Amino acid sequence: MHNVTSPDEAFAGASGRDSLPATPTYFERPMLKAPHWEWNVITYLFLGGIMGGLGVIATIAREDKEDERRLRRSARFASFALAAVNPLILISHLGRPERFLHMLRIVKIKSPMSLGVWGLIFFSGAAGANVARELADAGVLPRWMRHLAPSVTTPLQAVLGAFVAGYTGVLLSATAIPLWGAGKKHIPAASVCSGFAGACALAGLLATIEGNHAVTRKLERLEIVAGGAELAILLDFKRAAGSYGAPMFEGARGEKLRTHTLLAGIVAPMALNLIGSAIRLPKPLDAVRTTAASILTLFGGYVLRETLIEAGKASAADPRAAFRQPQ
Amino acid sequence: MSTGFFTDTTLCIGCKACEVACKQWNELPSDGYEFTGNSYDNTSQLSGTTWRHVAFVEQMHVEETTIDDRWLMMSDVCKHCTHAGCMEACPTGAIIRNEFDSVFVQPDICNGCGYCVVSCPFGVIDLVNVFNPEASGAYGLATLNEQRLDDKQTAIQATGGVAGKCTLCYDRQTLGMTPACAKACPTESIQFGNLEELRERANARVESLATRGIEASLYGAGDVGGGIGALNAFFLLTDRPEAYNLPVEPVLPSTRQPAGYTAAALTAAGLAVAGWMIFRNA
Repeated sequence: MHNVTSPDEAFAGASGRDSLPATPTYFERPMLKAPHWEWNVITYLFLGGIMGGLGVIATIAREDKEDERRLRRSARFASFALAAVNPLILISHLGRPERFLHMLRIVKIKSPMSLGVWGLIFFSGAAGANVARELADAGVLPRWMRHLAPSVTTPLQAVLGAFVAGYTGVLLSATAIPLWGAGKKHIPAASVCSGFAGACALAGLLATIEGNHAVTRKLERLEIVAGGAELAILLDFKRAAGSYGAPMFEGARGEKLRTHTLLAGIVAPMALNLIGSAIRLPKPLDAVRTTAASILTLFGGYVLRETLIEAGKASAADPRAAFRQPQ
Repeated sequence: MSTGFFTDTTLCIGCKACEVACKQWNELPSDGYEFTGNSYDNTSQLSGTTWRHVAFVEQMHVEETTIDDRWLMMSDVCKHCTHAGCMEACPTGAIIRNEFDSVFVQPDICNGCGYCVVSCPFGVIDLVNVFNPEASGAYGLATLNEQRLDDKQTAIQATGGVAGKCTLCYDRQTLGMTPACAKACPTESIQFGNLEELRERANARVESLATRGIEASLYGAGDVGGGIGALNAFFLLTDRPEAYNLPVEPVLPSTRQPAGYTAAALTAAGLAVAGWMIFRNA
């Protein structure tokens, strides 16, 4: 109806988006509000995945095998340590920490943040009970404390651990941020994979320090599976997100994701782990290899979370993506 | 009774009396003064401390002035959705639906987590950083406001980092008064009242405009789609929603949760089984 020549139209024509229509926007102003989340939330997402993954590993490891028995113990300690630290990191982003208690007023199924808080609390309970059992077995705590952890708390920590590793992905994708919404299946699945891979890496690192070399092979194989799945999911996310994915997969941020997470954080440790399975290296060299693979995996996992949050901010600033929000 | 706003953009003259009345009544601090160069819009957006925002959409020919040239003005506000993304996301229950069917943030319950901010499909609600006055205004009015409210122990002050948005003047409504913006609007572009009555009036307005050759449509008087339902603050527009910085296809974020939880559960189950097999076959 109006044949209008505005700077907006010129801009829209030049932007070269494929699937999103080039629409004149309101002075290029963002339509959505960007997340206020900084390093503390990024760290929480990263450590939360590892913490949950360790809960699963502690359950898979068998009681009657010496190497797995030691793995189970270190996984339980590490998971509990993360469960103790991680809520503090999360609470630090509230500004006034005592207001965390407001979260405990209600349980809201519709809010992943509410469910996540309760999941975290029950996970910490299970993790604490299992650690108490380990300490009672070691004679550090009184023997009766073994009963704090009946047989159910071990699988409970695994189930809640899987939830804690995965809900953060749902928390992101169930928002109005177009990039996150476009990844409604991919982000939760990738969060779980990255959490598992990170848990294998941390457990492998601890096993190397402990000298529990027999178990690192098993952890490395699981890490290869988790890393491979993560890689496939992220590549499929890029394909499925189309132009919604631009803030994450294109430009400098896309380059960082490729080099830091996909190559350094997934492909490189995968290669190192495969070398470990194929060739028997001398022990000191093998320890260096395992350590390097673990650190790279952890590094890639952090960068993945950082990229997700920062790309979410950029996505919120793009009014064209926000006009037609992903289903 | 369900009450709401009907904002008729064809009557808006861009005077910003609604912005000022809202700021005054709700004791909202200044956002500072920034010259944007975007027509007369130096407010730019709704925020935690700006609950009405007048948009100025310039549609002018560059070469010469013609009869088609127009200036669209719209006073934007929280939509008070039937299914509100912010309210569903809120983990503390601070965001409630009150007896007027408005979406209301209880500032003393809000803990500043910021999840509502990313869950609003319209980009309305935002955090107010009371503890960092420099972030809130060039004139330092936030600091003054904070000290004053310290005495009163009222809402926004008592908390640091709290979500803020239009309350549909809950306090005024409980006293039977019209919300400040609608009261101040000199052209009745902002109309307040019973929702059903407003919708009837809005439909009549669209028809009346059509007889005068003006194409207009309602935004949010009915279901806007995406699971959000109708909007308790709806608009009469004469251009596409995007021209006013409104989404043409908004989506209620929580509708993505079933897919997300399923994907996470299947992935975790797959990896757990893989781990179980690797440990037992090794």
